Amino acid sequence: MAGDGEPISEAEALEQLRQTDDQSRQYYAAWWLGRMRSRHPEAVPLLLAALTQRQPRDPGAGVEHNAVARNAARALGKIADARAVPELLAVLDDADDGLREAAARSLGELRATAAVPLLIRRLASGPAVAGAGRSDSPRLQEPCEAMLEALGAIGEAQAEVLDVIRPFTAHERPLVRSAACRALLQLTGETVWADELLQLLQHPQLQVRRAALMDLGAVGWRPALEPIRRTFAENSLKLIALRGLVEHGRGSGSGSEADSDDEALLMAMDALL
Amino acid sequence: MTAGSGDSQRAADRIRAFERAGSAEELVAATRRLTDCDDPLATVPQLVQVLGFNNPGAAVAAVDGLIAIGPAAVGPLLANLDAHNYGARAWAVRALAGIGDPRGLDVLEDALATDVGPSVRRAAASGLGALRLESLAEQEREGIRLRCLEALEAGRSDGEWVVRYAVAVGFEGLALPLSPPHPHRQRAVAGLSQLLQPEQEETLVVRLRAGVALKRLDNR
Repeated sequence: MAGDGEPISEAEALEQLRQTDDQSRQYYAAWWLGRMRSRHPEAVPLLLAALTQRQPRDPGAGVEHNAVARNAARALGKIADARAVPELLAVLDDADDGLREAAARSLGELRATAAVPLLIRRLASGPAVAGAGRSDSPRLQEPCEAMLEALGAIGEAQAEVLDVIRPFTAHERPLVRSAACRALLQLTGETVWADELLQLLQHPQLQVRRAALMDLGAVGWRPALEPIRRTFAENSLKLIALRGLVEHGRGSGSGSEADSDDEALLMAMDALL
Repeated sequence: MTAGSGDSQRAADRIRAFERAGSAEELVAATRRLTDCDDPLATVPQLVQVLGFNNPGAAVAAVDGLIAIGPAAVGPLLANLDAHNYGARAWAVRALAGIGDPRGLDVLEDALATDVGPSVRRAAASGLGALRLESLAEQEREGIRLRCLEALEAGRSDGEWVVRYAVAVGFEGLALPLSPPHPHRQRAVAGLSQLLQPEQEETLVVRLRAGVALKRLDNR
């Protein structure tokens, strides 16, 4: 397949993840197993072992902090095996915010309801504390976007969840606002949050318009079809967003009406190829 | 717009304004004005040149302009294909896919099979289903369609869903003008039927697109 990097077999990937002398090979193998959504019985146990590896950042090698563990966390979300949930929950309290971010995303992909109390606890201090900027990096105290998106994906819509998310719709960073609106739209279906996302489609920064496209796609908000078509961004991203509208369709009718909706969406996608 | 030369519609004036465009924004505006002048054909060399400028906004405008010009742009596009400028080549593939001239077949086949960019492969796949063959002799049409079918069949195992989606669109476009018993139409239907199977196609939207294509082909 084009663009997948060095081709290796599943057996090779498992072997490279098992050895611990060469961490760059482990890093690649963990990514590969997630990308291929490996069903091999050894994949999840090896990834769980890799999730416990800690290593400092190596700027010379261009390797991120806890690189192997982060990629293992991401792969466990893609493989979507519920056995990974307890270990990923433990990682949500790790000192490394990059690792917390990867774990939050994967728990969202796994729709792990057990993660909700932990995510709420980490975000409860709101934009002023959990969402405050750090002095040592451009990141926030908590990986807010990933955690908000996870709450939306998991789908528990109790009042205490909504109460924690809502203040982040006024965060100073538009990407955090976008993530909060996405989660609230997923959890409540209330049009007001869609309106916020539609506003962000017109934001002057391309990065923000891209995020709003992805967020509307993740919700599958079908009334966004026309605004998405008009958004000033790459067709590749609009296609991903429209795929989301087709596959997760929300905010429109059902039955035969949904069928003709489907076809209109598919024709809009054709026009972007 | 900033790069104007009064309100003149004349190609020569707009080309002069284009040559003077300094900033990236000015280039986008000047390119748009080239595509909207009284003699678009005269602007083909400039539009082809824009594809190599590493300015996506201007390149999008140039591709749209070249597609509107149609077959007359194919010769200059093919003559200027630059193997060493990936960006320029990718935009040229998009233009050739949109124009649908059979002279672009070699480039589209090669792009779908080997290009590293999914956005280029997806343009090539949909283009392979949209070649305009009406003016050719029947035997020549058959040969070209066969090559398109083979390229699309190989594209079904592409690793990117969006390319397989475009392959479904390509199969539909190739089959629709043919009569139901035509063997090439049947072969395209067989290709679409495989894209409909959850065991063979993991992405829902690709299966739905293949289903719409099959529905349209049955209804004719």
